[in-house]
Amino acid sequence: MKPDARGSERTERAEWIYACILWLYPAEFREAYAAPMRQAFHDALRDKTLPRRALVRLMVRDLITSLLKEYLAMLRDSTFRPALVFNAIILSGIATGLGLALYAIPQHVLRSGLNDPQIQMAGDLAIILDRYGVNDGLRQGALLASGLGTNIDMERSLSPFLMVFNDAGQLLGTNAQLDGQAPIPPKGVFDYVRRHGEERVTWQPQRGVRIAAVVVRVKGPQPGFVLAGRNMREVEARISDVRMMAGLTWLGMLALIVIGTVAFGIYSRPRPSTPIPPVPAKG
Amino acid sequence: MEGMEIITHPEVPLSPAVLAILLSLAEGEKHGYAMMKDARSPRSGGIQMGPGTLYGSIERMMRDGLVEESDRQDDERRRYYRLTTRGRTVLATELARLDAAVSSARSLGLIPSGGQS
Repeated sequence: MKPDARGSERTERAEWIYACILWLYPAEFREAYAAPMRQAFHDALRDKTLPRRALVRLMVRDLITSLLKEYLAMLRDSTFRPALVFNAIILSGIATGLGLALYAIPQHVLRSGLNDPQIQMAGDLAIILDRYGVNDGLRQGALLASGLGTNIDMERSLSPFLMVFNDAGQLLGTNAQLDGQAPIPPKGVFDYVRRHGEERVTWQPQRGVRIAAVVVRVKGPQPGFVLAGRNMREVEARISDVRMMAGLTWLGMLALIVIGTVAFGIYSRPRPSTPIPPVPAKG
Repeated sequence: MEGMEIITHPEVPLSPAVLAILLSLAEGEKHGYAMMKDARSPRSGGIQMGPGTLYGSIERMMRDGLVEESDRQDDERRRYYRLTTRGRTVLATELARLDAAVSSARSLGLIPSGGQS
């Protein structure tokens, strides 16, 4: 094969490849400019003043930048319309509200449901101690009568436990321990219960150990407090699952809104049927 | 510059590609590759511009009324473009802006005086 024929074949192949690459451009732009772009490339290939290596570099850079620009322009023209943007913002707001509700409602139900046994246990024991007083009541086995196990490990066990305090907040009896000791809740909790009769708190006696506690007031001849608590580990794991599912649902809804907005924007994009006339000069 | 009237235009300042296209078309009707070739020359700023950048810019310039397609057709695939009156005004405004900047640079001694602006 003669060198000229080989060169011509290479040029034709390059033009064919460029024509294929033009399919990467947005359809509207491609329909309008593919033919003159191919012609410009054809002319550039036959320009002896333009070194082949420089042409390749120029074309690669041009393809990357112009493809990006044309797709961004298409997106801008398709979606940056006030009605579309407004709808997308409203839908995103609704999706965010739904996402928050999907997290907040189950979280509240799970967290408040965790207190139910403690409310009953603390109330039952407080009724007995109201009658006998905290010291005498404990001496008569009120704590054992609750039917709960003894020496419950606050960190490992999910069983509810009870603690009885005198009016000064000193521990009188309990069926639970943490690392061999019986921790005492903050004094402020007792002050609050003294004023309001009951408090439901999340108590962290040790890093990583969180207790859902219900504290009630014992009145009568020997006043004091009853605390019923339970490790929150399992419920917090469920709340964490709910948070992840709500977060994924929220992200999914946002992605759908973005995809829908862009798709609808492209579908309903105004296409000028006639060329835009030039703006007449002033004067 | 003192005493110099500053003319403004919404399109000004222009991107290098748009300025190169307007400068090329200021000579008369041109087709795509002729504009690309002109843009590479030092008098148009030495802009390396491929067909994608060229026709992307031309589309936006046509939308802004700076250039228009001419009726001339010597090849089915070759398209010729020309400046509109508005395009010529915008080009003049941009050149005046650049000229003022060059004059200012010269008075500050940043460019040797006596050279072409």
